[in-house]
Amino acid sequence: MDIEVLIENVLNALTAGITIGCIYGLMCIGLGLIFGIMKVVNFAQGELLMLGMFASLYLVTGGGVLAFLGPYIGPFVGAMLAGPIIFIVGAFLHKFLIGRVSGLRTAGSIDDGHFGQLIVTLGISLILQNGGMIVFGSTPVTVRTPLSSSAFQVGPIFGDATIFLNKAKLIACAVAIVTAIALYFLLEFTRIGKALRAAADNPTAATYMGIDVDKYYRMAFGLGSGITAIAGGLMATYLSFGSFIGFDYVIIMYSGVVLGGIGSIMGAFWGGLTVGFVQQFSALILPPQLQNAAIFIVFLAIVMLRPQGLFGRSAERA
Amino acid sequence: MLEIKNLSVSYGGLRALTDVSLTVGEKQFVTVVGPNGAGKTTLFKTISGVVKPVSGTISFMGRDLLAMSASDRAHLGIAHVPEGRQVFKTLTVRENLEMGAYPKSGRENWTRTLDRIHTLFPILAERAQQMAGTLSGGEQQMVAIGRGLACAPKLLMLDEPSMGLAPAVTDTIFERVSQIHKDGVTVLLVEQRVAEALELSDNGYVLETGHMVLEGPYQTLLADDRVRKSYLGLTE
Ligand SMILES: Nc1ncnc2c1ncn2[C@@H]1O[C@H](COP(=O)(O)OP(=O)(O)OP(=O)(O)O)[C@@H](O)[C@H]1O
Ligand SMILES: [Mg+2]
Repeated sequence: MDIEVLIENVLNALTAGITIGCIYGLMCIGLGLIFGIMKVVNFAQGELLMLGMFASLYLVTGGGVLAFLGPYIGPFVGAMLAGPIIFIVGAFLHKFLIGRVSGLRTAGSIDDGHFGQLIVTLGISLILQNGGMIVFGSTPVTVRTPLSSSAFQVGPIFGDATIFLNKAKLIACAVAIVTAIALYFLLEFTRIGKALRAAADNPTAATYMGIDVDKYYRMAFGLGSGITAIAGGLMATYLSFGSFIGFDYVIIMYSGVVLGGIGSIMGAFWGGLTVGFVQQFSALILPPQLQNAAIFIVFLAIVMLRPQGLFGRSAERA
Repeated sequence: MLEIKNLSVSYGGLRALTDVSLTVGEKQFVTVVGPNGAGKTTLFKTISGVVKPVSGTISFMGRDLLAMSASDRAHLGIAHVPEGRQVFKTLTVRENLEMGAYPKSGRENWTRTLDRIHTLFPILAERAQQMAGTLSGGEQQMVAIGRGLACAPKLLMLDEPSMGLAPAVTDTIFERVSQIHKDGVTVLLVEQRVAEALELSDNGYVLETGHMVLEGPYQTLLADDRVRKSYLGLTE
């Protein structure tokens, strides 16, 4: 193979890996947050991603309230606003469904409520997939922005080898990073964040401190939903989607969360980034149908070498 | 201050407490002793609200505790230092104390109480940034007590603070608890180290298989044959 072409391909896989990986990272944080705080394995996370995409779509296109922002800014503001909207959806899902099979209600029962959670979240997932098709239609859609078909050129760097940075993905990546950092500060330094972590660590003791654990779990579920929805809104600017898209990404989310280290919320970001990288690099040598297989091979390799994940750690005394 | 009347608690069909009454007066130091499985921890959990009673009443400073949710009760100034410490292992020592100060009273008095906690347990200042789960058992107990104090409580409930600790550490803990009481905090203590515990108390209760079998001031309990034999190991 021509060396210049090879270098160009590798460099572009690298930059695409970083940009897409950051968006995946944000998506994974949503799932990681829900599992990390509430210990709920949420099979409906892919559908929250899908709802984020459609929320953004309806905000920005047609007669949407954000249509006035135009096709350059609108889609990204739409993605960010999908966050609070799906936060509310998540909080309601928790109040009426998830909360009944999780938290203090099931703490100490034989399976800690996991079987109930499995059925409830799978059920929500199926209802949203099929209900979504009825409500949103079955034609794939996308949040159109001219930025997704235009790129910054860096180079030529080596001979004719040039890096193309897709503008839509670049902005989406920036929004994802800023959102992840904001969440990090929320969890690490604010009273709400510390109370969330305390409620995750020891719900009974948190109750003794006067922390309303149920309320914080609802917030965690809403936050996890909203964060993944923002990632969905961002992805909606560069791919076409329908109500079944969640299924394709739930695998990536689980791989990212496990890679990052189960329970490590920010680790999920690095896990998602790793998955994005592997996906883009495998595209160099593998046909698209095998990309998910490549993700799993790397996934299994890392899990074999480091079962606690890349960033998993133990807080127990050695 | 705290008044418990005819309290009965069951786990499923299993009775853990039967018709238990107990009173803690303002600024008092009250100790509950009893063998393993007597229901001491159950009593504390029922006061805190994580276990619901079958019957009976609990009032705290004139408020009906049973009408309030568990998390709301802490905001009245009740601090529960649970059995087995139960520190937030993945939070730092400082964050543990901050979570203790979660109620309004804790936030309003934060600088003052933090000072006081550090005076009582200087190690907590030294280890402020360490993950609480990596501390030794004795240090974790100090975190648990400090966390309880952080809400500037009116009533401090301690469930076996000496559990699993070396005698020297236990002595320190008892000495600090006594200091806390002298500073004006009402204390309700559950202990297996009966002699030391009763010595500090104004009033003691003996709980056996869910029944309060004896109550009275230190001297009365000390004079009781059963207490002398079963709890103090005295044969005379
Ligand atoms: N969650 C529970 N489910 C069922 N039974 C329980 C539960 N918790 C406690 N019990 C039972 O209630 C009784 C009282 O237990 P409790 O923990 O209150 O005793 P304790 O006096 O604190 O004992 P120890 O000195 O060993 O701490 C015991 O017989 C125990 O087996
Ligand atoms: Mg006990």
